[in-house]
Amino acid sequence: MENIFLFSLFIDSFPQLLSRLHITLYIVVVALLFGLLLGTGIAVARLYKVPVLSQLAAAYVSFIRGIPILVLLFIVYIGVPLAAGAFGANINRWDTLIFVMITYIVNSAAFLSEIVRSAVAGVEKGQMEAALSVGMTRWQAFSRIIAPQAIQIAIPALGNTVVSLLKDTSLAYTLGIIDVIGIIQAISSNTHRSLEAYTAAACIFFVLSFILERFFKWLEKKIGINNSIPGANVAPNNKIAVVGR
Amino acid sequence: MGFQFDLSFLIFEIGVAIKYIPVVLLLSIVPLIIGLLLGIGIAIIRLFKIRPFDKFFTVFVIFLRGVPLVLQLTILYLAVSLSFDSLAKTFGLQMSSKDLSYTLIAVVGLSINATVYLSEVMRTALQSVPVGQYEAAYSVGMTSRQMLWRIIIPQALPVAIPLIGNNFIGLIKGSAIASLISVVEIINATLYEASGNYKFLEAYVAAAIIYWLLCILVERLVAFLEYKVGVYGKGGVV
Repeated sequence: MENIFLFSLFIDSFPQLLSRLHITLYIVVVALLFGLLLGTGIAVARLYKVPVLSQLAAAYVSFIRGIPILVLLFIVYIGVPLAAGAFGANINRWDTLIFVMITYIVNSAAFLSEIVRSAVAGVEKGQMEAALSVGMTRWQAFSRIIAPQAIQIAIPALGNTVVSLLKDTSLAYTLGIIDVIGIIQAISSNTHRSLEAYTAAACIFFVLSFILERFFKWLEKKIGINNSIPGANVAPNNKIAVVGR
Repeated sequence: MGFQFDLSFLIFEIGVAIKYIPVVLLLSIVPLIIGLLLGIGIAIIRLFKIRPFDKFFTVFVIFLRGVPLVLQLTILYLAVSLSFDSLAKTFGLQMSSKDLSYTLIAVVGLSINATVYLSEVMRTALQSVPVGQYEAAYSVGMTSRQMLWRIIIPQALPVAIPLIGNNFIGLIKGSAIASLISVVEIINATLYEASGNYKFLEAYVAAAIIYWLLCILVERLVAFLEYKVGVYGKGGVV
């Protein structure tokens, strides 16, 4: 029987895979930062029930949450240059990585907006009233009273989203991005084997998600809501739990 | 130059996508059911610390939760086809991995994935019932089975249903990844139709619309079920 799995090849593929790790992390960080910005905007539109914008935001969130990221990747990759072309802009030469970034920003914004929304809505109404009653302005009340509590509520769901975002980036290779997964094709064209490299990539993703998960658990313990308010019991936020695949 | 989008081709592609809904349901419902059954088993083994399996499943769940589905499917696909070829060679069979059903491999891979996530759902749901409930049920002389059916499950179900619904949606969306190991589902079917005229955007948009509708349907179904099982939680002991 031939060797199905060559252990030496498995070990040897780690340095090559790790040399592309920065691309994967880059996508995650950019998508998270811009996704939070966009997501907060969407959440504000929905929380304050801004006419038209709030309905648009709701449809956007529902659509993005309802379609596979693989489909979204290609819609953005093909559709955005076409749409830009309709306005006379030629962006066909843009780096593929930009379209990948747009996809992951658009995707994570939808999930993050739900987290921001339910976190802000999760802070008791009385908190705002109390803050206003002691003479704070609305902005002071929000930034000093509401936001800190909302962040505490958001941490567990945020952790879930970051881990699924990391795992979702594994699909960027379908557009030809040479990240941790994309490099495997280059490796396998040399060795004519790919099982070992894929297994090594799986190990890398496992370690990364494990570290992230631990980090958010630690953060939750440090500043989480169950820690700061004795006896507080925040119901699990089933609606916004993200299933990362 | 305007925005080139062929609406009539989109409608044609939606028709193609609708025909492949059964494949998506096969790739999501079968893993959901298998995942629920195996997930309950794993959850119970881990909760009641049944040795030596509890340690094994803990590692199994923690590891696979960190690995993207696309890697799980690819690794399974490669491992199965490589060992199949190797075995066929050893025994001199006139078969190769090309005879294997990609759909079957995808169903197995998605089932493993679903098992991992659903075992966590079941664990959460079972843990959400306070220990006092178990003790109280035993103290009034119920058997384990009576306790489970009359006391624990009615309380665990409202916690589990939204989470199971989320996983079902995750599986529907996850089934799209099966297209990467050559399973002919919605994406590959619509792309095939577009390969003649290069209208791939229409193909992807058609697929997106169908996925979206499926997910909305499942969301509605889950909301209905949530309302139904929530009846127990509404009080009214008499």
